[in-house]
Amino acid sequence: MLPMTNASAAGSRSATWRKPFRLLLKLALFLYAIVTLYPLFWLVISAFKSNQDFFNHPFGLPLEWQIENVTRAWELGDMGRAMFNSTLVTISSVVLTIVLGTLAAYAISRFQFKLSGAVKGLFLLGMLIPIHSTLVPLFIFMNKINMLDTYWSLILPYTAFELSIAIFLCIAYMASIPKEVEEAALIDGNGWWGVFGRIILPLCLPVIATVTIIAFLRFWNDFSFALVFINSQALKTLPLSLSLFSDGYGTDYALTMGAMLIAVIPTIVIYLIFQEQIMKGMVAGSVKG
Amino acid sequence: MPSSLRARSFVTLALLPALLIFLTFGIVPIIWSAYYGFFDWSGLGALKFVGLDNYEMMLQDPIFWRALKNNLILVASAIIGQVPIALLLALLLLKNSMFNRIIRSAVFMPMVLSTVVVGLIWGYIYQPQFGLLNTMLDMLGLDSWVRAWLSDPKVNMYAVSIPINWANIGPYLVIFIAALQNISSEVNDAAKIDGAVGFRKLFYVTLPIIWDTIIVTIILCISGSLKAFDHVIVMTGGGPAQSTELLATYMYNNSFTVYRYGYGSAVSTMIILISALLIGLNYFITKRRS
Repeated sequence: MLPMTNASAAGSRSATWRKPFRLLLKLALFLYAIVTLYPLFWLVISAFKSNQDFFNHPFGLPLEWQIENVTRAWELGDMGRAMFNSTLVTISSVVLTIVLGTLAAYAISRFQFKLSGAVKGLFLLGMLIPIHSTLVPLFIFMNKINMLDTYWSLILPYTAFELSIAIFLCIAYMASIPKEVEEAALIDGNGWWGVFGRIILPLCLPVIATVTIIAFLRFWNDFSFALVFINSQALKTLPLSLSLFSDGYGTDYALTMGAMLIAVIPTIVIYLIFQEQIMKGMVAGSVKG
Repeated sequence: MPSSLRARSFVTLALLPALLIFLTFGIVPIIWSAYYGFFDWSGLGALKFVGLDNYEMMLQDPIFWRALKNNLILVASAIIGQVPIALLLALLLLKNSMFNRIIRSAVFMPMVLSTVVVGLIWGYIYQPQFGLLNTMLDMLGLDSWVRAWLSDPKVNMYAVSIPINWANIGPYLVIFIAALQNISSEVNDAAKIDGAVGFRKLFYVTLPIIWDTIIVTIILCISGSLKAFDHVIVMTGGGPAQSTELLATYMYNNSFTVYRYGYGSAVSTMIILISALLIGLNYFITKRRS
């Protein structure tokens, strides 16, 4: 009996300080979140300041909210062109990744063939490759086949490296789809392509959404491949333009901030809409090399 | 057409395009890189076979060792910084309440930003004359702390590591929350009955259960450091005087600023070998534990 009373006594004693302690803890967590978000907040307010204001009151809100930085950056830095390039390359790579990835995952997960284990292992091996180590050989190879400085020089390597994680996630998801569904469809006179297109793809929509989101973020934000494989101004993607922009207009900080804001807005909007999927998907993706 | 043949043609057609792109742009480059590593080549003219000379040169180059050391500084800062902070946050944000969800998504947010943007923002924060950090130190009266954060070789590698840590805490937080939420309620009940609460529960019950997850995150810190490249290229380019060079930037600078493709390939191959070694180690450790 004794230990019981002890425990309950301790319980009531702790209850008196538990509430203020909880509140303090919440405050600390809130502050931590503020500190984490501060650089981003600072980017937003700085993007609307004049250069003078930027130097004199780095912490304050803009004395006068100026939209010119953003509009000027859009024109001067050719950000519209960069936005178009990023969008084109990202969408093409995502579509290619999804189509090829789901097809390959379906073939691997549903058909027993001699090399199925080896093929699966090979694709999974791709998750372990540190991608920077492929910059030099890919540069030499694409130089040889005249592919450097084209959209393909980004689309194909992006797809190659995203296929591993896409196939990995799709195989795991397809394992949960009962085979009876397909057998019934086959009996109804569908070929394998029909089964894939009419049955499997629609059932796989959740995993396709996950793969799309993580692939989008990776392609949209990629810097190293664009840095090495793209040279002409007309083909530059957003991150590459930004890095050069900051060199070119090094002293016009407000303008650079405006350009950065343009680049960041699409990712933030997508993050706010899909945060749960992004968090789960990127964790699966971060295990990748 | 018999159905087995139809299935076979379907499998071939379904696999072939993916396999072709993956092999051409993912796997074959690594083999090429190993091959070019044995040559002296500036990109133009003939390849000159030099055997293991590139590797010998690499091991004798103090900059290579500095790059390796800088990679280790990143690993250490991730293990000292990211892992404990993420674990602490995970313990505090375990319940799926509205407040906790908001804090979690705030902590994760920097992860989705472009690395170039992260590098540029922090470049401004560290800017010596008007950067936020020095301005703040000035306001607090800590003038003696003011310095050129990205060019002073005594501190610049640590300065560089902070934004990398800041941007990458999110995934560790999510991994830890998943691991903690997986602990069954029976374990928690049993711990309560045995009187294990607070820190005692943390050290004797919770941490031992998620120990494997902690090992996994430490391995991710190590492999993550080999991936570090963008932030450093944007913030310092590896300089000044190559003081913030990492293995990946060392490879990049040798290949694309001084055009030693043979040597750069050898460094690429070295990165792959180091990474393979780590993966092997990882496999060995997890295998032994289970």
